[in-house]
Amino acid sequence: MSDRIFAVLWLLLCAGMAAVGWGISTEFAYEPVGPRAYPLLILALMAVCSAWLLFKPGEAVDWPRGALLKKVAVMIVAVLLYALIFESAGFAVATALLTVAIGRLFDGKWLHCAVGGVVMGVALFYFFDRLLDVPLPGGLLLG
Amino acid sequence: MDTLGFLGQGFAVAMKPGNLLVALIGSFIGTIVGMLPGLGPINGVAILLPLAFALKLPPETALILLAAVYMGCEYGGRISSILLNVPGDAGAIMTAMDGNPMAKQGKAGVALSISAWSSFVGSVVAIVGLVLFAPLLAGWSLAFGPAEYFALMIFAIACLGGMVGDKPVKTILAALIGLFMATVGVDANSGVYRFTFDDIHLADGIQFIVVVIGFFSVSEILLMLEQTHTGETVIKQTGRMMFNLREMVETWWCTLYSSVIGFVIGVLPGAGATIASAVTYMTAKRLHDKEGTFGNGDIRGVAAPEAANNASACGSFVPMLTLGVPGSGTTAVMMGALTLYNITPGPMLFTQQPDIVWGLIASLFVGNILLLIMNIPLVGVFTRMLSVPLFLLVPGIAAISTVGVYAVHSTTFDLVMMALLGVFGYLLRKMSFPMSALILGFVLGEMLEQNLRRALSISNGDLHILWESPISLGLWLMAGAMLVVPPLLRLRRRRKSAQAIAVSTV
Repeated sequence: MSDRIFAVLWLLLCAGMAAVGWGISTEFAYEPVGPRAYPLLILALMAVCSAWLLFKPGEAVDWPRGALLKKVAVMIVAVLLYALIFESAGFAVATALLTVAIGRLFDGKWLHCAVGGVVMGVALFYFFDRLLDVPLPGGLLLG
Repeated sequence: MDTLGFLGQGFAVAMKPGNLLVALIGSFIGTIVGMLPGLGPINGVAILLPLAFALKLPPETALILLAAVYMGCEYGGRISSILLNVPGDAGAIMTAMDGNPMAKQGKAGVALSISAWSSFVGSVVAIVGLVLFAPLLAGWSLAFGPAEYFALMIFAIACLGGMVGDKPVKTILAALIGLFMATVGVDANSGVYRFTFDDIHLADGIQFIVVVIGFFSVSEILLMLEQTHTGETVIKQTGRMMFNLREMVETWWCTLYSSVIGFVIGVLPGAGATIASAVTYMTAKRLHDKEGTFGNGDIRGVAAPEAANNASACGSFVPMLTLGVPGSGTTAVMMGALTLYNITPGPMLFTQQPDIVWGLIASLFVGNILLLIMNIPLVGVFTRMLSVPLFLLVPGIAAISTVGVYAVHSTTFDLVMMALLGVFGYLLRKMSFPMSALILGFVLGEMLEQNLRRALSISNGDLHILWESPISLGLWLMAGAMLVVPPLLRLRRRRKSAQAIAVSTV
């Protein structure tokens, strides 16, 4: 079933992308194959594979359920939020928050996660930004 | 003689203090990453690649680091196979079959040391093979034109389709997704923007590092939520730490032929350490299992797959270095690393960048010696790390990966893209799309298109050029065979076993 849903979505995506790709054009053409043909070829092949998958799907996928699904959702939100606040809040603060969020998912105790997060955020910041010269956003605390 | 001269030059590069230090660090990190269940060489290389780039390491040093990590993972995987009965990476699945029983019989030290030794022998045999065959193959492939290259890349993708995953259509679709993602951005020939939706962040395409981290780090930690190996306890090492002469003699022959088989399998695009270790384990079992000791802690069952997975890892450098077409997901990531430095892997590399090629080959020798030292006397250091709690390890992986992505462009856009690709990768992996095919497609995408267009420019649009030469025709036929034969064999095997079941129930 999952394969079929994926195949339908992917076919729609291929169609949408093909519509966008059709509009690719150059003013001057000095080679027999321009920039448009190859992406359209790939899209066509993807559509064929998706159609195949639609008619001959693989085995059912064991999606996470219940508590595990909730954990996966929390992790996705945590990683997205981390990406979004990384620059504004700064590396150390964002990493500390991420550690608490993910650490709790892996059954860490509140205190352990909090202490570990703060230590990791600050230590990694100094390690990369100061010692190895990989620039990181200082943000709220270390800016 | 020429080869020896170049090899000497390579050792001069590999023995520079900076490169030696990097090889040491890489081997150490690689062993840890390989040992941790869930993380394999492709994750290790993916996480370290952006850091190497951010640290502004010169290309040969970056490559030495990544190669050391790759090798280290092949060593490290065995530790958790033997002590935990949980393979540290896919290449070490077979090692658990006899390694864990040996550990349970109190011979953990022997299992660990003999497997490190056979890993070392496997690597050395394969590196010698690399030194002997790579220059030959590179010289031969200089004659390749765009049409031959196009056919070769199709062959590489078809190999993956035939051998990786149980549904070829999913592997091909994954490769196509990678190929399509590579078309995003400005077209090199005409300067036209494709699929950028007028977003400046997509103008130079989807960043390689963002793709690699999203697919191999973020999606990996999402998958790690499901695989909590609680209840398994680390077996304490007791007794002898070192194998004795009798055990070495006993395993010598199977280590040697497993190394050769592993190397050959590694050179073939598509088949990697997982297939190599499975094939050699089965071979060793067929040849030596007279008393039914395999599966109950036979030392040869530990030596054979370990020799093979290291040999195949070294062997997989051959197609990457000589043809510019990676044979495995991990070498695809490494090849992407080279292109980040504006170096195009392929036969020209041997003449234009001998420092990089031979430095890398020499560093494989050096790295393996370091790894042998780390993995026999110092193995206790690593076993202690098996008890690092996941609640710190996982956020650590996430944070370090993000640092690498951020270092490239310092934009929030890349970070969000990384997170979204991670979720997409998670969904694809849950649906058993092989990620190695996707990354291979993404890395080869631009070259595939360029070679196709160049070939058609030469022939002025005539498609015949694509299969005119005997080399390209041969590659097309082999690609077709790769897609058709393995599924047929699988079908036949399934029929046979179905018959066997039918007969036995009658």
